[in-house]
Amino acid sequence: MSGFSSIGKRLLRFEDRRFLTGQGAYLDDIVAPRCLHAHFLRSPHAHARIRAIDAREAAWLPGVRGVYRGADLAAMAKPLRMAPPIEGLKPTEIAPLPVDKVRFQGDPVAVILADDRYIAEDAAELIAVDYEPLPAVTSFAEALSPSAPKVDETLDDNLVAHQSFATPGCARVFAEARRIVTRRFVQNRVTHAPIETRGCLAIWDEGRQHLTFHVGNQAPHPYRTQLAARLGLSESQVTVIAPDIGGAFGQKIALYREELACAALARATRRPVRWREDRMENLAAASHAREDACVTRAAIDAQGRILALDVAIEEDFGAYCFFPGNYLARVVALMTPGPYRIRDYAYDVRVALTNKCGAGPMRAPMSMTSWIMEGTLDAIAAELDADPADIRRLNMIEARELPYVTVTDQRLEDITPRETLEGALAHLDYAAARARQRADRARGILRGLGICVVVESTTYGSAFYKSAGIPGSGHETAVVKVEPSGAVNAAVGLMASGQGYETALAQAVAEGLGVDPATVRLQIGNTDVAPYGMGSRGARGATAGGGVLYLASQALGEKIRTIAARELGLNDIGELRLAAGRIERRLAGAWEATRLSLTDVARIAYLDPLRLPPGLEPGLEVHKAYEPPAMTFSNATHVCEVVVDARSGRIAIERYIVAEDCGTPLNPMLVEGQQIGAVAMGLSGCLSEHVVYDRDGQNLSTTFADYHLATAVEIPHIEIVPMHTPNRSTPAGVKGMSEGGVMGAIGALANAVDDALRPLGIRAEALPLTPIALRRLIRTATRRSAP
Amino acid sequence: MKRVPVTLDVNGESHALSLEPRRLLSDALREECGLTGVHVGCENGVCGACTVLIDGAPARACLIFAVQMQGHAIATIESVARGGALSPLQQALHEEHGLQCGFCTPGLVMTMEAWLKDNPDPDETAIRAALSGHLCRCTGYQSIVAAVKRAARIARERA
Ligand code: FES
Ligand code: FES
Repeated sequence: MSGFSSIGKRLLRFEDRRFLTGQGAYLDDIVAPRCLHAHFLRSPHAHARIRAIDAREAAWLPGVRGVYRGADLAAMAKPLRMAPPIEGLKPTEIAPLPVDKVRFQGDPVAVILADDRYIAEDAAELIAVDYEPLPAVTSFAEALSPSAPKVDETLDDNLVAHQSFATPGCARVFAEARRIVTRRFVQNRVTHAPIETRGCLAIWDEGRQHLTFHVGNQAPHPYRTQLAARLGLSESQVTVIAPDIGGAFGQKIALYREELACAALARATRRPVRWREDRMENLAAASHAREDACVTRAAIDAQGRILALDVAIEEDFGAYCFFPGNYLARVVALMTPGPYRIRDYAYDVRVALTNKCGAGPMRAPMSMTSWIMEGTLDAIAAELDADPADIRRLNMIEARELPYVTVTDQRLEDITPRETLEGALAHLDYAAARARQRADRARGILRGLGICVVVESTTYGSAFYKSAGIPGSGHETAVVKVEPSGAVNAAVGLMASGQGYETALAQAVAEGLGVDPATVRLQIGNTDVAPYGMGSRGARGATAGGGVLYLASQALGEKIRTIAARELGLNDIGELRLAAGRIERRLAGAWEATRLSLTDVARIAYLDPLRLPPGLEPGLEVHKAYEPPAMTFSNATHVCEVVVDARSGRIAIERYIVAEDCGTPLNPMLVEGQQIGAVAMGLSGCLSEHVVYDRDGQNLSTTFADYHLATAVEIPHIEIVPMHTPNRSTPAGVKGMSEGGVMGAIGALANAVDDALRPLGIRAEALPLTPIALRRLIRTATRRSAP
Repeated sequence: MKRVPVTLDVNGESHALSLEPRRLLSDALREECGLTGVHVGCENGVCGACTVLIDGAPARACLIFAVQMQGHAIATIESVARGGALSPLQQALHEEHGLQCGFCTPGLVMTMEAWLKDNPDPDETAIRAALSGHLCRCTGYQSIVAAVKRAARIARERA
């Protein structure tokens, strides 16, 4: 990881100052004159027909400028058709706003435009909607029962996606296996809960016939493509501008119906229209995630070697497909074998629609992957009374087996699972921890250790999407410019929501070019300025975004050196470099300053082009696209030590360790921030978060007093052990990261709690592990065993 | 709805306003006074993003009507960096990477600025308890805890 001058430096963030002083410009901070405020009236029913909507009284309220229903919006915008040609996936369609039926509690049924938000909300109370309530489907099992009401009436049933796979020998291995270990895992429905809710500001320019749409979105260009198409506009008639984003985590990728409605109504009313979602709407109606259950079966030999693995996943996808139904669970199935030698494998993935808020990707969309694999390894260890670390060692691929192609055709290369496993265990002093556990168990104290090895698929290349049967492209684009004054502007098709791109990506540009990162200005989030890119999703920012910026900057650096060589009368640019904005020349092995600076070269390139070497275009600007490998992985091992209080069910996390290999870190401080933040999100989801629906489909968790995000008291101190090694196939050896922490935390914590509960003969198969849930489990177990 | 006159004294400046009695202080500060550093994350007093100081004590601007503030001195995040220099807490948050998206930052800075005055030498447990009234979805709190510790040290050294 040496040889870099900007990459790998612990630079403090350039973006901090505006956030620390209250000068950040988030969506709702943008002012537009004559603006109307949108408010959405939402369904109180989980499932109901809309018979009639009477908005007359609301429309008379002073300050109300209009009330629009689904039928009105249908004339202004097109539906979202989700029909990628994928086997096992049923096509679905979402209207701009529901017209004749609502499908979950919180579904928008009408939108009010008023002079302010207070009036708009008053008006909502005056609208009378005549509903005919229908029976609601509130679980996966219910959804698939033959008598279930149909959530989407255009489909034959509620099974929206079904895909399966098996190696030819898999069934036989199971048939002949001496031992089969089975384990069930139930993940809780959670939601992203960025502290800034959703919102938008739509400004229609009637003269230019142009829409400027401000929205805190992670992928502004794909968003623009869809927004323009659904409004019947060309992509040159729409500019999407993403301001500072107060957290996104996957919730700010889709074009939501509320946003589409604001855009359509700005055009229809010729007035700016803004929407600020409130927290209740965000928790009830934005996007949810992760409600899936999985059963694994492992055929093993007497030592605990896995001979075959079978994984059955069921996902409750909610009422609408803003993403293809197989988008998340399918990747879980593909990635589950992880770094283990599994030659026979089968999976079955079923995704059902229910009357709940639609699901989408949330930081670590494949969050369950590591938990189900590592939990299965723990089940094998328990079955054989073996040490869980030894079972992992027995099954894990070794460095000399790399590159290793998994049974689902994932090529594992430049990863270090064994190293991080041993690194994390050593950091904990595993033997001492097991000794603590034995001593505590003898005294009736429930102490547990959890291990979770993570192989994080960070950067999805186009080849992966194609072979996995999910829609998408993995390339990324960048423009790097040195302006006539020597100032550096760099643009890329990503959008930040807290990752620190303005610093980390500036470091990638600075490295490629040979300038001080502080002189690089990153231009992101404006579709007119940045080139068309695929946006920020997964953990692709550093590899795809940093990678393409680095490559573009290197190419621009070469042009700069070519011009400088001619000025200095040299033939070979290899003897020149740019460092801190000065052209340097190698003389007798040492770098020495020349008379030229970057500014001198820039002036020639722009203002005196006749001096340029033959064949070079005027100006200093490079546009580049980069297609990353099919898949890039980082990897880690999480280890967690807990004590469960048998009386209260409370979990005390005494140690939490992450040994991680994220490749070349662009900025190690930011990498550590992402690691800790991801672990915290995983722990929070595992400890306390839960979107709860009752049997009628009423959401019972629509305030932060009911939906519990972990605070500074619940999140422990997290110990990070950096074990980075570069990737040889990506620019600068970057691997990317930011989601693995979530995966590892869920697995490590759940495994630790199971380990703690082992003396009681129970395990906690369902998340979240709240004190109430654990106490109930423990009580049932101890009552059962009582004489 | 009828508007009533109220004068808000914010960051040492007075704003003579005419507001509906139901208008939240958070909205009035953001929209009438232009102080958009006051962030709104939940509007029911849980997340802490809207925290301001009222007569020196932290309070949630989303739980107060603006018209109640006649005669009180309000301070927002915009007043913390004096003469452009970051406060020790702001500087420490910068150095410890105590913020990512920055949306929770203004609120927790206001709470902890006041808290550090009363708790000049806090330990980690106390800091975590004091921070527990603020939700941060990005950082996992660890770097914020470190920043508060560092700020306390800087303030003690300066004193
Ligand atoms: S907005 Fe006031 S506490 Fe959340
Ligand atoms: S930094 Fe994003 S919520 Fe705290």
